[in-house]
Amino acid sequence: MANKPQIRTNSSALIAMIADEDTITGFLLAGVGNVDLRRKTNYLIVDSKTTVKQIEDAFKDFTAREDIAIVLISQYVANMIRFLVDSYNKPIPAILEIPSKDHPYDPAHDSVLSRVKYLFSSESVASDRR
Amino acid sequence: MQISENGTESTDKLMEADQHVLNFLDSMDTYLILMDSLSSTLRQGWLELASARHSMGAARVSSTLFNLKSHHASTTLEIDDVDTNVVPPHFTLCKWVASDDSEMNNGEANCKDDELSLAKPETPQALVEEPQARRAESGESPVSPDGHVQQARSRSLSMFGTLVSPKLRATQTSFEKAMEMLVEISNVRASLLHAHNQVRKTRRLPNSCV
Repeated sequence: MANKPQIRTNSSALIAMIADEDTITGFLLAGVGNVDLRRKTNYLIVDSKTTVKQIEDAFKDFTAREDIAIVLISQYVANMIRFLVDSYNKPIPAILEIPSKDHPYDPAHDSVLSRVKYLFSSESVASDRR
Repeated sequence: MQISENGTESTDKLMEADQHVLNFLDSMDTYLILMDSLSSTLRQGWLELASARHSMGAARVSSTLFNLKSHHASTTLEIDDVDTNVVPPHFTLCKWVASDDSEMNNGEANCKDDELSLAKPETPQALVEEPQARRAESGESPVSPDGHVQQARSRSLSMFGTLVSPKLRATQTSFEKAMEMLVEISNVRASLLHAHNQVRKTRRLPNSCV
């Protein structure tokens, strides 16, 4: 029993990725890659030729799928579709903005922190004091 | 008597509000610490990948070699079946899950919860128990990883060829670690947003003291 391997159940969910080639390569090595019978993958490699429309379509597709629990998106890619990312407010799939090789993580642009930072603003504090 | 009851109620509400604010600040702190750790781990992974590409050649470590045949992900997630309006969702990482295999068809998935450590920067890592860790608990020597897990790892590496650089294996390990951190971050993110909603609700209540 101690050596029993983990068996996939029907409730397993996937991790989707919208990132650069190196990040996708690394996570595919970690076993995250999935290709369905229609040859649809759970990742989109973003390079210089990828258009904003393709990124938007991939984001909308991944967030609409019921078999995806987390969407990883490089922060610099998220900045290209910032309006779409910030307006997304469902709990699942969770959207995580991750750094990339050439673009370190910037908390100021993180959609989660943007959503909560108003609690620390001076207007927010002043309105409570009135 | 009524005045004292009202006073007690106000104190309780104040304490509850303070608790929500503390939860919110704790979650935010943990989130930022984990993101910083994730950045370091990813940087390590990218460096190792670059080394692997250097030793194996760019053509041998490229997205053109990705497996585009139909296959299931070996690393998946389980989500607790909860009402996300009431409690935040909880994600559990299932690493190197077996596909439908008659030899191993003997039960349900056996994913272990990651134990979220709320410790400060020194030890922000989640603990995801793999089969080899459970063997250690049962008294067996925690030596080599379980055979199935090794096979799954090798299968993942095999898209870049049979003989791969040790740096590519190191890359795999780094990104596995990054994956564990990301699941932890997802859970902290869910707690952060839940705590944020609680704080907002408290501030909207009449006679709120926050």
